[in-house]
Amino acid sequence: MNNKPKIGVYVCHCGVNISKTVDIDAVVEFASRMPNVKVVRDYAYMCSDPGQLLIREDIEKEGLNRVVVASCSPRMHESTFRKTLAAAGLNSYYLEMANIREQCSWVHEDKEEATAKAKKIVYAAVAKARLLEPLYEKEVDVEPATLVIGAGIAGIQAALDIANAGFKVYLVEKTPSVGGRMSQLDKTFPTLDCSACILTPKMVDVANHPNVELLAYSQVEDITGYVGNFDVKVRKKARYVDVNKCTGCGVCSEECRLKNRIPSEFNMEMGKRAAIYLPFPQAVPAKYTIDPERCLFLTRGKCGKSPKCVDACSAGAINFEQEDEIAEFKVGTVIVATGFDVFDAARKPEYGYSDYPNVVTGLEFERLVSASGPTGGAVVLGEGEDAVVPKDIAFIKCVGSRDASVGNEYCSRVCCMYTAKLAHLVMEKVPGANVRIYYMDVRAFGKGFEEFYDRVRREGIRYIRGNPSEIFKRGEKLVVKVEDTLTATPLEDEVDMVVLAVGLEPRKDAREIIDILRLSQSGDRFYLEAHPKLAPVDTATDGVFLAGCAQGPKDIPDTVAQAKGAASSALVLLASGKVKIQAQISVVDQSTCRGCGYCVEICPYGAIDLVTVNRMGNLAQAAEVNEALCKGCGACAAACFSGSIQQKSFMDRQILPQIAVLGVM
Amino acid sequence: MVDVAKLKEIARETVSRDDVKYLIGWRQGTFGFRAAPHFVNKPEDVDQLIFSPLCSHNLATYLTGVEKLPVPRGQEADSRKVALMVKGCDSRAVVLQLVEQGYGRDSVVVIGCPCQGVVDQKKVEAKYPDMGENITAEWGEKTIIFNLPSGKTEVPREEVLAGKCLTCRYPNPLLADAGAWEEVAVWGSDDYADVQDLEAGNPQERRAFWEDKFASCIRCYACRNVCPMCYCEDCILDRLNPQWITRAVNPTENTAFHLSRAFHLAGRCIECGECERVCPVDIPLMKLNRKLTKEVRENYDYEPGLDPEAKPLQASYRPNDKEDFIL
Repeated sequence: MNNKPKIGVYVCHCGVNISKTVDIDAVVEFASRMPNVKVVRDYAYMCSDPGQLLIREDIEKEGLNRVVVASCSPRMHESTFRKTLAAAGLNSYYLEMANIREQCSWVHEDKEEATAKAKKIVYAAVAKARLLEPLYEKEVDVEPATLVIGAGIAGIQAALDIANAGFKVYLVEKTPSVGGRMSQLDKTFPTLDCSACILTPKMVDVANHPNVELLAYSQVEDITGYVGNFDVKVRKKARYVDVNKCTGCGVCSEECRLKNRIPSEFNMEMGKRAAIYLPFPQAVPAKYTIDPERCLFLTRGKCGKSPKCVDACSAGAINFEQEDEIAEFKVGTVIVATGFDVFDAARKPEYGYSDYPNVVTGLEFERLVSASGPTGGAVVLGEGEDAVVPKDIAFIKCVGSRDASVGNEYCSRVCCMYTAKLAHLVMEKVPGANVRIYYMDVRAFGKGFEEFYDRVRREGIRYIRGNPSEIFKRGEKLVVKVEDTLTATPLEDEVDMVVLAVGLEPRKDAREIIDILRLSQSGDRFYLEAHPKLAPVDTATDGVFLAGCAQGPKDIPDTVAQAKGAASSALVLLASGKVKIQAQISVVDQSTCRGCGYCVEICPYGAIDLVTVNRMGNLAQAAEVNEALCKGCGACAAACFSGSIQQKSFMDRQILPQIAVLGVM
Repeated sequence: MVDVAKLKEIARETVSRDDVKYLIGWRQGTFGFRAAPHFVNKPEDVDQLIFSPLCSHNLATYLTGVEKLPVPRGQEADSRKVALMVKGCDSRAVVLQLVEQGYGRDSVVVIGCPCQGVVDQKKVEAKYPDMGENITAEWGEKTIIFNLPSGKTEVPREEVLAGKCLTCRYPNPLLADAGAWEEVAVWGSDDYADVQDLEAGNPQERRAFWEDKFASCIRCYACRNVCPMCYCEDCILDRLNPQWITRAVNPTENTAFHLSRAFHLAGRCIECGECERVCPVDIPLMKLNRKLTKEVRENYDYEPGLDPEAKPLQASYRPNDKEDFIL
């Protein structure tokens, strides 16, 4: 093919967006005099079908082999015009966009000067278009499996959707059981469904699904590779119980010398468990785990004459010799559903959470009202004969949310409604209770939320607008010091119990996954999505998706919706079986690379490695780009001292002539 | 303080090792107050080694600068270690070369030589002009002792030491496999007075200053060639396509050359002062390098060549990095 450049220049009016500040005719006339330019046309909307048809016809009839579109930012329509070129049989990378809208007509008022600038932008684009080279998008196969990290409701839902579509899922959960935070909840707002009743069927489903391999009590150690081809390494922590033999009968736990001695994590440390335990009755898998930090035999090497659990277990499932195992497998996509931590109320010392036992957090109260909780669902304070039923209960909202003093400026989105729900449960369980809720705002934005808020107010719960300044003890009572800001009245409210509606925070171990997957964090420290509106489940790493509160606080319906979104995004890749990789990637001239490794350090995608090259028998280090990982951001090219690593379509030899024509005008 | 006899013993042992190719040190020069690099290939060459106030060369530049000849078919490249004598400043070059993965740690043997300062040829030649024969020198207590034909002469070190030594904060090697020394005390401190002088002027004055200096540049590239941190296989200054900087010797291109060079050393200059020492037309290159060093220290709290495990400046990012210079 004769590759002498024959360039078509297409100047867009964009309605009046461009033409009102840029003299289109002058630009067209100027472009027609540029070297190698064969055709120049203008049109009201170049991106419209008739506009694109102009380009197609010229390519076919005039034999154009380069196209310059002078219109908007390439972020808007570069892909549109690439397809136009491809449809006309021309390599789509023979396109150069000249941005005369965002970088010219929209930011200037003087028509004469804007026209002069538009001419320069078009000239520079033409200069580069001459030197464009065809690029080809490669395809890689997608391993038909997904790794889901975290088996809360988000992870469970995503795993089920993918498994139901017929693809293999590896579901990795750090704790001994699936279920996550939702399993700790009593009822769910605003419908007051029993949380366990709607969650446990899904927990059982996911564990029994033939396409799901559940790796509970396991941790992802390492993930390497790229979209379609991730190599995963998972550490299966030793339970010291042979899961194939354990029947889940629980006799071991009954016999354990530390029975009722260890605070139960599931009950927010209010109930007690043994050293060998099932986190909660409906745990899946229903297999016991020995806490290696508490078990007398594991920590001291001795537990009476012989460990009681071993004696008690008729199945012979207990094995103190068990060691961590490493599982390695390949997946095509990854879904991160690692959830959240609740705000540590001790960080607001004015509320006395660390000082007074009757100041509790929302999640602790949730366990208190739950039938599976430490009190069997009775709202009582204290134990045994000292137990009293609190009558006056105050809720305080926005504890650790919307609060710059603790570094959390965001709204946690669930506290308004869970407070309303808990208040309602108090009214149900404590006859004659006197409940008030101190709030900044009430955000009842979801489906059925406002109605539920109305309902609880009608039940006699008082909402008082004010942010308490202090909680202190007076006799047997707690005093909430607050100003009712609607009536400007200072109050000292005497109550039996205070419930702090603590917000949601990123997990303290969020860094582990960031280091493994090179994720980014947004300002609120949750994992950052690729685009806040148009790619809310994607990440900057292709093939890695987010679901649930790992990405930001959300309620159960939103979590499930996002999990389904992440699952379908993963399925798009799995079902097509192929993924196209970037064509405008970096290339290394290994003969001039000095092997300093700056590009390796700088690459945000981990796409560059140093490899040993042979230079006339001498071994040296040089950079090598993994084509599937490179996204063509160009950071490496900017960092390279010797200009040995450059980005296709943005090579020095293409950009410098572009700059040069600007200098000589 | 270095025990030179002990140092020679270490050098002899090192050169005798089967896994060492050669040792690079210093020997006495042939005229004036000069030393010369000395490549010790066999144990008997060790006798000529010296370590004195004349040993200004930063020998680390040979580690990356050595030409690698094609290896004949059927043979293997010589992968034996190279042994190198380093002063404090030279050791920073080795550290940064390791950070930049120029070679593996196990391919060098570093012999440390704590340094009490090396002489500035220009200062000493002005003081004792027209010395035809070679003069040896040694360190005294806060002095330099020259063995002149007229006899031993002791001068206060401030009068003859190189500028970099007067502000040196790292006289002891930061990295060494062997050495016969007691650490020397740090007596210099650095307030960047030379840079502050320049910063005090207005932009027009600064421009006039540098235009004057750059105008005399003859583009011999000695500053680049001697720099231990300039080791690209294919330097952009030599490249014809694209030609970033033309070879024309005029103030515009000279300025482009010197600014490119300085920017390529931002956060990488280890302040050995070799560029300024070798410049035949006395351009104060360290003023330019140190301006960037000062900026890097003030803005990013970073000094290159101190820690072989540290990341290079350009490759490290902290969320609180200053970015107020971004428009």
